[in-house]
Amino acid sequence: MIFSILEHILTHISFSVVSIIISIRLIILLVNESVGLYDSSEKGIKTTFVCITGLLVTRWIYSRHLPLSDLYESFIFLSWSLSIIHMVPYLKKNINPLSAITAPSVIFTQGFATSGFLTEMHQSVLLVPALQSHWLMMHVSMMVFGYASLLCGSLLSVALIVITSRKVISLFEKSNNESFYFDEIQYMNERNNVLWNTSLISSRNYYRSQLIQQLDHWSYRIIGIGFIFLTIGILSGAVWANEAWGSYWNWDPKETWAFITWTVFAIYLHIRTNKNFEVVNSAIVASMGFLIIWICYFGVNLLGIGLHSYGSFTLTSN
Amino acid sequence: MEALNLTTTTNPPLSKSLFRESHLLRSTFKPELIPCGVKTRSRHRSKNFSFTFACKLKTPQDITNNDKSISKKIVLSEVAPPLGEEGGKGTGNGKAPVKSGRGGGAMGFVKKFPRKVLAILSNLPLAIGEMSTVAGLMALGTVIDQGEAPGFYFQKFPEESPVLGFFTWRWILTLGFDHMYSSPIFLGTLALLGASLMACTYTTQIPLVKIARRWNFMDSAEAIRKQEYSDILPRAKVQDLGVLLMGSGYEVFLKGPSLYAFKGLAGRFAPIGVHLAMLLIMAGGTLSATGSFRGSVTVPQGLNFVVGDVLGPSGFLSTPTEAFNTEVHVNRFYMDYYDSGEVSQFHTDLSLFDLDGKEVTRKTISVNDPLRYGGFTIYQTDWSISALQILKDDEGPFNLAMAPLKVNGDKKLYGTFLPVGDSESPNVKGISMLARDLQSIVLYDQEGKFSGVRRPSSKLPIDIDGTRIIIVDAIGSSGLELKTDPGVPIVYAGFGALMLTTCISYLSHSQIWAVQDGTTVTVGGKTNRAKAEFPEEMNRLLDQVPEIVESSLSKEADRISG
Repeated sequence: MIFSILEHILTHISFSVVSIIISIRLIILLVNESVGLYDSSEKGIKTTFVCITGLLVTRWIYSRHLPLSDLYESFIFLSWSLSIIHMVPYLKKNINPLSAITAPSVIFTQGFATSGFLTEMHQSVLLVPALQSHWLMMHVSMMVFGYASLLCGSLLSVALIVITSRKVISLFEKSNNESFYFDEIQYMNERNNVLWNTSLISSRNYYRSQLIQQLDHWSYRIIGIGFIFLTIGILSGAVWANEAWGSYWNWDPKETWAFITWTVFAIYLHIRTNKNFEVVNSAIVASMGFLIIWICYFGVNLLGIGLHSYGSFTLTSN
Repeated sequence: MEALNLTTTTNPPLSKSLFRESHLLRSTFKPELIPCGVKTRSRHRSKNFSFTFACKLKTPQDITNNDKSISKKIVLSEVAPPLGEEGGKGTGNGKAPVKSGRGGGAMGFVKKFPRKVLAILSNLPLAIGEMSTVAGLMALGTVIDQGEAPGFYFQKFPEESPVLGFFTWRWILTLGFDHMYSSPIFLGTLALLGASLMACTYTTQIPLVKIARRWNFMDSAEAIRKQEYSDILPRAKVQDLGVLLMGSGYEVFLKGPSLYAFKGLAGRFAPIGVHLAMLLIMAGGTLSATGSFRGSVTVPQGLNFVVGDVLGPSGFLSTPTEAFNTEVHVNRFYMDYYDSGEVSQFHTDLSLFDLDGKEVTRKTISVNDPLRYGGFTIYQTDWSISALQILKDDEGPFNLAMAPLKVNGDKKLYGTFLPVGDSESPNVKGISMLARDLQSIVLYDQEGKFSGVRRPSSKLPIDIDGTRIIIVDAIGSSGLELKTDPGVPIVYAGFGALMLTTCISYLSHSQIWAVQDGTTVTVGGKTNRAKAEFPEEMNRLLDQVPEIVESSLSKEADRISG
């Protein structure tokens, strides 16, 4: 009883903190950046992190197994790992564009997990026979860590695409206007036009290209980490499947989609090794990966098909 | 400036076209032996193709190792320029891979043919295309229901209303998409991907590592300044820098005034390991698919079966072993329950007997805890209820066979029927007994009305219309899955290697060069992955390099002279 009350309190605290952070973020977005508000939103994320940790620990003690057995718990774990990713750079006093991605991700996943959509899953369930294994911790935590960092990395790539496409559009517009202008005056040749153009927007361009480089680099590094976690997660899952289901690979939908995710990010990493491809190409692959992670993580569970459908999981052989 | 010129020539499309041109030139032009000296560099824009070649194959390393490269023959090569991380970077410290061996005429063609294939296979866009195809086919495989009868596809993908305007059952059945993961298209793409993996490792990755392994000093400050990161330290000593670099994990080499340091070389090797591990997994998977036996059986408690009768071969490499004569006896099947009544675990107590009837091993298996013996594995995967043992009016015990009922959804429900009175009459009446698990049995009377619930363990009698029934036991049967899989050790080795090498691949290979020029030290460096962290690390390190104060310098000079 005391555990469920505690769990309730923690859920509510984290949810209200998260909603406060959302409003603070909105204010920052609308009004100019103010340091005080920004600090408080950072403190809010830390509070959320502490609350989620408490929530997970309570659930662990209460249900006597790792809180990773169903979608709701894995969602909470996802927002927990996102907040870890958010906080690690601060420990190293290393401020990078990552925090702008991770903070809203924490807010959204935690908000989604605690909002009404998954209410019927809130009570912790008993572990079905197939999940009673030490591999549960290894497999699921690695997968969720992998998802969390891959989501961050691919979101950075999405941001990159947004910025570059805006740049292309604005460049296009600018050159259009100016060429029109110069056509009228008729004493500037094309070459000068280009020079004029670049000098006009060069300082803005410089910061932009700096930002793009930063985004590109950080998404590469984060995806690299996520890829390691995903690899370990998939392989430990395969070993577990060989213990529990009798085969290390069953072409179960969840497995298949995890493998598709793995392949897509492998493509991303390969494109990165080649200098002939532009930054945008790899970013497009990464943002495709973003969609695929969601299909893999959420879509397959929602359909409830295959061996990984935890809600309706019974001891069956296909 | 020279290095900048080089960058333009190492551009792959340009050099590729040159390769093709040079082919024509071969009859008239003997590929020239060009001493790789600085003097040819300035003329590299000339129309002479062989000159262009010489420049393409030259890198700043040649500036420093003049003597070494003179002896090297430069031969026109069919191999595409490496598409690795260093490809297209003229400032690289190594040489482009040069294939020695020159063939002319028919012999040359024979020799060149596999190389051409290799070049095509190791092409990165092709590999990316293969990976995307595999991913796409897998996604399609999860969308289309697998392993159904043809009739299912006739109904779901009718010709009258094709999905997306063209996709009908004809496509599915001709291309074998009803069994995607064993269809020739899917397996063929995987095989092609495997071939690409091998080709890429051979033609691109190994040469790259050879380059990276070379310790090469840069003697000219100019070359160092062209690196991705460079800095000039006035009043510093290269030795101090060396000590600092060593302190932060670099391997440092000093030769006179020049310094070379590197860190994370394993990060260069690891991608090869990743590819080899993938190949190992593929090989293991192939062996699993062709050389294994599988089979499943549902055995009521107390009965036995022979392993060889259950197992069926899956491919042409499957060969039965001695252990297939083993007889398995199901001693007991039971379930554990939570307090709420839900099943927590299934257990089967198994005894294995050899041909002589001697018990060789005994183990209680459960889900996640299979029995391994003599190359085969027995898994607990399923269960059902085979019979109810009852006493009717203290007679018996009788065994009533239980049949699975499909009432609502996939929940397990078993039922049996005990006829009461005249069993010859056309409409037999009797007592129905239903069970969801081995824990409790629900009884209904002749009219179908609920009469009570009994636990087999309680031995509590129940009276239904004058018939006294005691449920003695509910006998479960254990669903077992058996398999032999010779591919598992190989696949597991691949798994281990893949995990390890993927982790190592995250390491960034950093290289640092420095040269002392009077009291000034020019430092340059580059790294292949951590491109944002590297300058920070360098700045931090260089800040710590002690500054040689003028007075101490003069003091030192005094001491030497004095």
